[in-house]
Amino acid sequence: MLFFAGYFLSAMLDKPVRDRSGRPLGNLRDIGVRCSETFPPVSKILVRSGRHQEQVLAWDEVRTVSAEAITLEKERDQLAAIALGEDECWLVQSILDRQIVDLQGRRLVRVNDLELAQLGGVVRLVAVDAGSLGLLRRLGLERIALGVARLFGRQAPGRLLSWEHVMMPQPTSEPLQLSFGREALARLRPADLADIASQLGAPDRANLFRSLDEETAADTLQEMSPRLQVSVLNSMDDERASDILEEMEPDDAADLLADLPEERADDLVELMEPEEAAEVKQLLSYPEDSAGGLMTTEFVALPQNLTADQAIARLREGAPDAETIYYVYVTDESGRLVGVLSLRHLIVAPPTTPISELMIKDVISVRADANRDEAASLIAKYNLLALPVVDEQGGLLGIVTVDDVMDAMLEEHRPRVGGLRP
Amino acid sequence: MTGPVSERAPRPALERRREWLRPGLMALVAFLAIVGPGIITANVDNDAGGITTYSLAGARYGYTLLWTMIPVMLALIVVQEMCSRMGAVTGKGLADLIRENFGVKLTFLLMVGLLFANLANTMAEFSGLAASGEIFGVTKYVSVPVGAIFVWWLVVKGSYRQVEKVFLVACLFYISYILSGLLARPDWGQVARHTITPTISLRPAFITMMIGVVGTTIAPWMQFYLQSAVVDKGVTARDYGYCRTDVITGCVVAIIVAFFILLTTGATLYEHHIPINTAEDAALALKPLAGRYCSYLFAFGLLNASVFAASILPLATAYSVCEGIGWERGINRTFREAPEFYGLYTALIVIGAGLILVPGAPLLLIMYASQVINGILLPVVLVFMLVLINDSGLMGRYRNSRLFNFIAWATTILVSALTLALVVTMFIH
Repeated sequence: MLFFAGYFLSAMLDKPVRDRSGRPLGNLRDIGVRCSETFPPVSKILVRSGRHQEQVLAWDEVRTVSAEAITLEKERDQLAAIALGEDECWLVQSILDRQIVDLQGRRLVRVNDLELAQLGGVVRLVAVDAGSLGLLRRLGLERIALGVARLFGRQAPGRLLSWEHVMMPQPTSEPLQLSFGREALARLRPADLADIASQLGAPDRANLFRSLDEETAADTLQEMSPRLQVSVLNSMDDERASDILEEMEPDDAADLLADLPEERADDLVELMEPEEAAEVKQLLSYPEDSAGGLMTTEFVALPQNLTADQAIARLREGAPDAETIYYVYVTDESGRLVGVLSLRHLIVAPPTTPISELMIKDVISVRADANRDEAASLIAKYNLLALPVVDEQGGLLGIVTVDDVMDAMLEEHRPRVGGLRP
Repeated sequence: MTGPVSERAPRPALERRREWLRPGLMALVAFLAIVGPGIITANVDNDAGGITTYSLAGARYGYTLLWTMIPVMLALIVVQEMCSRMGAVTGKGLADLIRENFGVKLTFLLMVGLLFANLANTMAEFSGLAASGEIFGVTKYVSVPVGAIFVWWLVVKGSYRQVEKVFLVACLFYISYILSGLLARPDWGQVARHTITPTISLRPAFITMMIGVVGTTIAPWMQFYLQSAVVDKGVTARDYGYCRTDVITGCVVAIIVAFFILLTTGATLYEHHIPINTAEDAALALKPLAGRYCSYLFAFGLLNASVFAASILPLATAYSVCEGIGWERGINRTFREAPEFYGLYTALIVIGAGLILVPGAPLLLIMYASQVINGILLPVVLVFMLVLINDSGLMGRYRNSRLFNFIAWATTILVSALTLALVVTMFIH
């Protein structure tokens, strides 16, 4: 299968195209895609060999795309020239530099660059670069711009729009239309971004992250594998890395820090805001394979002397940060876990009922130093969405959520890059 | 980049009027609805720089350069007609088409050049405003800020229709030059003779002056502004006939005004051998020779032209940069809807007016640099235009005919050669 790391169109254009034995064929002039699909798959390439000599080849003929050249499967004399199909279009000729308008027809910007990446085993057009970084890249000024941006401690303004939001009217003189308004300028969702970022080469990945704001960068990073998380963080300076860590969920941030060299991890924690740093430090004090290492500190705990409607009011204030609010934990004056309430319990109860009467007193919990497999089996056995983690005195420390457990389990059973594990 | 020609929906207002008006009257109404971009663009051609050049040409060589006005007018018509045709048929500005057909690098270089040249020209307009203000006894520290705020407010707050009306009124004020020409009491027999019989002297100074007259008349920004204005106005291929009339009327009127400026200084300053260096000198020197009113009319013309052009040049720049990048634009938008468009417009006015008020700013150097950039840009822009207008995918049946192409290429080569010659002579001096 073709190895394709993901490229911006501008980086691929003009690359030399060589046949199987390395003989030069010409340069890449354009790339054809099948426009009918949501993420159009790449189907053709246009190679220019002389002033007026151009040749269309099937993308299937391409064996490798490297930084230096595009190499084909066959020898020069075995290649069959074909034509562009009816449902296909050229990226440079028909899409690059085209005007983009929003749903109301207001002009936004032009297509400065296009991003190709492998999705589901097929190389596809995935995003439009509508940011000034794309423009600068086309002008060959990207490095300079990034340097200047860093000098002023600003992030370079990148903006990737997922192709799924782009509508392409047939006469190519008409602008491309986005499926949303300017105000709701949706970017790629963090999970999609993570997929794309995972397929890019390290330098492109670093560039992609440079173009994201801190919150999006944090959300995207959380969706990536630990190995890539480390690689991304290593490409950033301490200032930006610590800003992004602050935006991450404390448990994810702690996991990531645990994978970093100790010295850098310490430096980064130092740079974080005191509040976030304290949470992360506490989480870091537990071994990674323990329940404490898996837990998050963002949960809802209420004192037992509240009534149901007071509890709901508290939830409204405190809930936005919590990882789950389906379970509301109840603690006594010394912070010991004494009960648990489901959101359902709270809502259906008469408003003035004290929560101590509503709660389930027999709470399933796990000690922070317990093995994480124990936490996983408890969650599985009792069909929990989250499991409270306590210290030796029964004081509530955090919760382990079902998705964190699943991630941990998947991580353990996922094949490593470079081959399957025995 | 090729696609079928888009015939955009006709403007409903015009459509409604068509239903109940008699054919002759209807045509007039339709023309009046389309009129504007061509007349405005051509008239702004007689801006502070243009008036200075024509004044100098008249003062130094009398009527001998009058004949150049006819070929210059034809060249202006040929170039402007192509722009308005492209705007009406494609619904896109010139910078739009250049970005889509020639790529981002050339567009970017063109935009940077245009930005600088137009900024320098804007400064020239504000300095024209300062000079004419001083003739009426108003210090530049009052006239320049007031002028700047007026043109800024006009475009930012006004709709396209309102702004265009103000611009058209400004065009009307150019009549002051025709009046001052009449007051200068020229020898009409001489004028007629020199208008139809070309005189060429091989003295370098004369040639330079002649090139200057051509160079000041056809500038790169005009092509961008005219086409953008045609698009912003919503003219379509089916209204194109009126659009052409608009362009030709504009070019004829603009050249008549330039003709009268040449005439005024030729009949007075040249006859009395009074050397001048600026349009302000010309206005002041007219007072003892042709009377107070002639002088005031001349100065008022300069004031009007400067304010008018100080608005159009930043506007032309904002249009072309936004088209090139793809940002929202147009006078009908609000500041919030098109922040980049109005931001650029504002910045150019603030910088252009601001630098005029800074003592010791190297104005002369900036003007020369802008002339050089304009000289380099013009051939490039004209060649781009010719390539685009012959693209059948873009223009369909509205592309150039063979005969027109011959004329257009000849004009392009001649104008480009003269403009580049101007740049070269400037380096020699």
